[in-house]
Amino acid sequence: MLARLARGPASVSELAQPLEMSLPAVMQHLKALEDSGLIRSEKKGRVRTCRLNPGVLASAEQWLVDRRSEWEKRHDRFEEYVMDLKDKELKA
Amino acid sequence: MTDKLDLVLERTIDAPIDLVWAAYTNPEHLKRWFAPRPYEITECELDPRPGGIFRIRMQGPDGFDTGHGNPGCVLEVVEGKKLAWTSALAPQYRPAEMASEGCESFPMTAIVTFEDLGNGKTAYKAVALHANEADKEKHEQMGFNEGWGTVAGQLEEFAQSLRANA
Repeated sequence: MLARLARGPASVSELAQPLEMSLPAVMQHLKALEDSGLIRSEKKGRVRTCRLNPGVLASAEQWLVDRRSEWEKRHDRFEEYVMDLKDKELKA
Repeated sequence: MTDKLDLVLERTIDAPIDLVWAAYTNPEHLKRWFAPRPYEITECELDPRPGGIFRIRMQGPDGFDTGHGNPGCVLEVVEGKKLAWTSALAPQYRPAEMASEGCESFPMTAIVTFEDLGNGKTAYKAVALHANEADKEKHEQMGFNEGWGTVAGQLEEFAQSLRANA
C-alpha cells in the first residue's frame, strides 16, 4: 500500500483492489499507518483518499543526503589541506 | 556492487600522490581535515595495516565530545594506492559496539583508492558503504516499536520498491 501511495494519492478501494485482503483488514492497516504518521487520509463524500505524509518520506532520503553532504565536505577539507601542505613543501 | 546506500566520490587533485597518501593516512594530517569546523579531532589513531586501529575523538566548542570514541578497524592497505576501514569492526576484526546515537551509531565502511596521474596530479575515489540505516533511522523517527510488525513489513516492501524505482 505504501508502495502504491509513493506514486500518488489513492482511494481505499484502489489500495485494496490488488491485495488479497478483506476491505475491513485493509482499513485496519490503513488506520495503523495513519496512527503512525506515515500517511494521512481525508473523506470526501463516500470516498476516503489516502496519501503519504511527505515529511516521513523525506526523512529516509534525508538521512542519505546528509551522509553525502558530510562525505563531500570532508573531502573538500581534505583537498584544501593537501593544497596547503603542497604550498608549505614548495616554500620549504 | 553499488547499492543505493553507497556514496561514491571521485576527484582529481593537483598534488603528487605521496603527499595525498600521507594526508589521508597519517593521523597527524588526518586530524586536521576529518572533522567539520568548529569541531576538532583532538585524538586520532590510525594504524595502516589490516586489523589496525582507526579511532578518532571529536570535540566541539558546544561541549560535544565523542569521548574515547569507538575504535574502528583497518581492513586493507596497499601503500600509496588503497585504504579501506570500517566502523562495523573494532581493531583485530572484533565485532564493534555501535553508539546509541550520533555519528558513531551506524556502521560504515570506507574504501579509498588513489591513482598517480603523473605531472604531480592524483585521482582518488572515496566510497562510503552503509547498511540499511536509512530505514532504521526512519523507523526510529516514527517511534516504531517491535509490536508494529505489520507496518514494518510494509515499510520494508516500500523501501524495496523505492530502491527498485530509483
